[in-house]
Amino acid sequence: MMRYDVINLIQGRVDQADVLEREADQTIVEFRQGKLYSYETKLIRGCGVRVIKNGRSGFASSTNPERIDDLINTALELADLGPKAGFRLPPAEEPAVVPTFENKVMLVTVERMVEWGKDLIDALSARLPELKVDIKIHRTYSETSVVNTEGFDGHFAKAELVMLVIGLLVDDGIFWVSDFVNMSSSPVWQMGQILERIESLVRMGKRRATVRTGTYPVVVMPTALPELLFPIAVAVNGKQLEKRTSPLIGKENMSVLSDKITLIDNRLHPYGLASAPFDGEGVRARKNVLFERGFFKGFVFDTATAAVCGRSSTGSAVRDYFSLPQPGLSNLEMLPGDAELGATLKGISEGLLVYDVIGGGQSNYLAGEVSLNVSCGYKIENGVVTGRVKDVGIAGNVYEMFQRVAAVGSMVRDLGSNFLPFVLFSGLKVASRA
Amino acid sequence: MKQFLKQVIDGLAVDYAEIRVEENERVRVVYRGKEVDDVGKAYESGGCIRVFYQGNWAVGTFNIVDESIRNIALELASQVQKLPRREGGLIKLPAFHETVKLVTRHDPRHISIAEKEGLIRHYNQILLNTRGIVSTLCGYQDSYRKVFWYSSEDRYIEQEFGWLGFSCRAIARDGTNVQDYGESVGKTLGFEAITGREEMVERVAKIALDLLRAEPVTAGRYTVIIDPLLAGVFAHEAFGHLSESDHIAENERLRSLMRIGTRYGVDELTIVDDPTLPLEKGSYRYDDEGVPAQRTELIRNGLIAQHLHSRQSAYLMGESVTGNARAISYRYAPIVRMSNTYIEPRNLTLGEMLEGVDDGLYVVGSRGGMTELESFTFSSLYAFKIEKGKRTKMVRDVTISGNVFETLRNIDGIGSDLVIYGGLGGCGKADQAPLPVATGAPHLRIRNVIIGGR
Repeated sequence: MMRYDVINLIQGRVDQADVLEREADQTIVEFRQGKLYSYETKLIRGCGVRVIKNGRSGFASSTNPERIDDLINTALELADLGPKAGFRLPPAEEPAVVPTFENKVMLVTVERMVEWGKDLIDALSARLPELKVDIKIHRTYSETSVVNTEGFDGHFAKAELVMLVIGLLVDDGIFWVSDFVNMSSSPVWQMGQILERIESLVRMGKRRATVRTGTYPVVVMPTALPELLFPIAVAVNGKQLEKRTSPLIGKENMSVLSDKITLIDNRLHPYGLASAPFDGEGVRARKNVLFERGFFKGFVFDTATAAVCGRSSTGSAVRDYFSLPQPGLSNLEMLPGDAELGATLKGISEGLLVYDVIGGGQSNYLAGEVSLNVSCGYKIENGVVTGRVKDVGIAGNVYEMFQRVAAVGSMVRDLGSNFLPFVLFSGLKVASRA
Repeated sequence: MKQFLKQVIDGLAVDYAEIRVEENERVRVVYRGKEVDDVGKAYESGGCIRVFYQGNWAVGTFNIVDESIRNIALELASQVQKLPRREGGLIKLPAFHETVKLVTRHDPRHISIAEKEGLIRHYNQILLNTRGIVSTLCGYQDSYRKVFWYSSEDRYIEQEFGWLGFSCRAIARDGTNVQDYGESVGKTLGFEAITGREEMVERVAKIALDLLRAEPVTAGRYTVIIDPLLAGVFAHEAFGHLSESDHIAENERLRSLMRIGTRYGVDELTIVDDPTLPLEKGSYRYDDEGVPAQRTELIRNGLIAQHLHSRQSAYLMGESVTGNARAISYRYAPIVRMSNTYIEPRNLTLGEMLEGVDDGLYVVGSRGGMTELESFTFSSLYAFKIEKGKRTKMVRDVTISGNVFETLRNIDGIGSDLVIYGGLGGCGKADQAPLPVATGAPHLRIRNVIIGGR
């Protein structure tokens, strides 16, 4: 195990050090255009070391156990140039308890994954013969370990099983639909639900509808919501507080979003793709409430950023073996409201129902600006979906948008590391070529 | 090395096998605001084995390169034989042996990390010295890869890849109004490619401050003139991805939509993908299937001329290989990708293009773009209004989106001033990012473009 070799060799030569080691074994079965395309296996092993010496930190990483000396020497050399390190690495602490490993996931064989994909494609082609389907099923076993010179020595195993389905319909244009399933808690094949969701998206999109440029009520489904939440996820990052670039500076415990919105960063979500008993530098994982009924509750920090800002780590260090820890979100949860989708649509005389958007992260997201192209969306007229829309964009400032929340859905969708309901915005600006 | 690789895949009961083993080194330096945020170096080694049998692939990637990888090869051969037979095959190539060395004047591997850090600190300080700039993000990266590639055709290629680049971003703030602006440079060149860039850094600070005073653009339809940087991103995002044949090889409807000879633009429009351009970010000699790089015309005089191919997609479509199967590292199998993609220049000057526009936008630069086949969206860095043929007020938050085919048909002016850019980032597709690419174009004028904004 590289981490112990590294920490033993470096002990006494530095003020502090930590090592993150990760090993993963991933199996991927891929179908393209309705046919099995490939079987893939990935074996990943790597180790990253951060050293702190004379108040600065140095970092190096390697996948090669034979280059441990290079790894250590480079980290030591870079400590002369690296960032200031006015913090202490976390001490030995009991990690939190969170389920991340279900053995049944590892018992899902390649043959079973192939069978699932084939069954889904057969069922879809019977119902929707014109739809071309791509499927990727990933099964991953990983082990993550963090050890430091302060006595922390943590390790956890994780099993993940996820499926991504993309359906492509080519008529007089091109229309995408997609679906995602996280089966990491229980590998129970949910074909009926997947079929129902995809069939519904395709059937609603058989007809075309046009929408004129204007302001409309828009229902943003959980699959599209992460793009609207992205600027907020950036703004709550302690790094943006440190650099004085977050629009949330000075707004802690103030009302920023609609009182219908509660957002939680939760590394303890059972079987979430970002779940872990400790963060990337060994701080015990916890739930961080980001917004409670619209009130901003605080930034997220790793140890280094917290020290600069005079705060404490929130257990939010995100790190892989090839990178230094940075503050970041883990699993993002939005608490559900009480709205049912059917009833919500019935109450809209003219509006949009949005399942997928592209173009996130390209606008001035630091200021909260978004401008997104609706890649899978539908027109709602007099309470019913009348057809798919094309060449339509939604734009605006997310802080203004999330103040105009008319309803939040009662069901939360598991999207791996996002656990979100739908949100009805009372008025979003929609640009259209129609 | 050839002998070792040969032993790993020798005698497998498959139609085709290849192994790619790689050693790489990467350095990065990041400044955020006044402080250095990250200085790091990574050493990686690993490999990828692919076997092809009766239309299916089995792929294995690994970090530990020793005799044990023969077991991975055997396991892949066994797995691929269990998969149901599928139509198709691969274009085969003759036995061959080639070594491609990287030639640079100032090889970044021979320059100390302290010198790299010093240069980025210097650029960062220029931004910080500018009044009104509250924070910065300046980064340096270099990457060196040595790849050993061998196939069951007894084809062997040793190839070195290297690139480096830097980016600088200034964040300006006036009360709650926060604006940021950045530029980056990326080349397959030596360290000289990023020294002496003070003028660029000063421009970044100035534009970030100008953006504080710019109004958000009003959403709607406009005639736009897009600058070479954005026009290049448009060529890459809007049409280049559509030309990648892995999407179209087995989809009859898409094949028909992308049939060679179909008109997608005005007569003057020619779009090219060319990895053989010297020293550009997306340049290489052989792709990751051992196919020689070549110039490929995606659109010639407004008509679809060629598609970008892997060995498999070329076989399925009955076309020639183009050398566009690329992987970002040993962790991935190659997929069909672009290299240096650009629109060929024509005759119009910028002044002539402006003359024809009464009420439009001059749109500059790109924050990035995305496409889902015919739908695209990309964001500019900033824009100016065009009023009666003159550039006037600066506006911000300008995002262009729409339908590729309509937008290509709506190009009504192509400039004479081709510029090719390679930034610090790269292209993303199917979880593989960033892939080194460059994009380029002259100025373009396009009618009836959807502008997203406030």
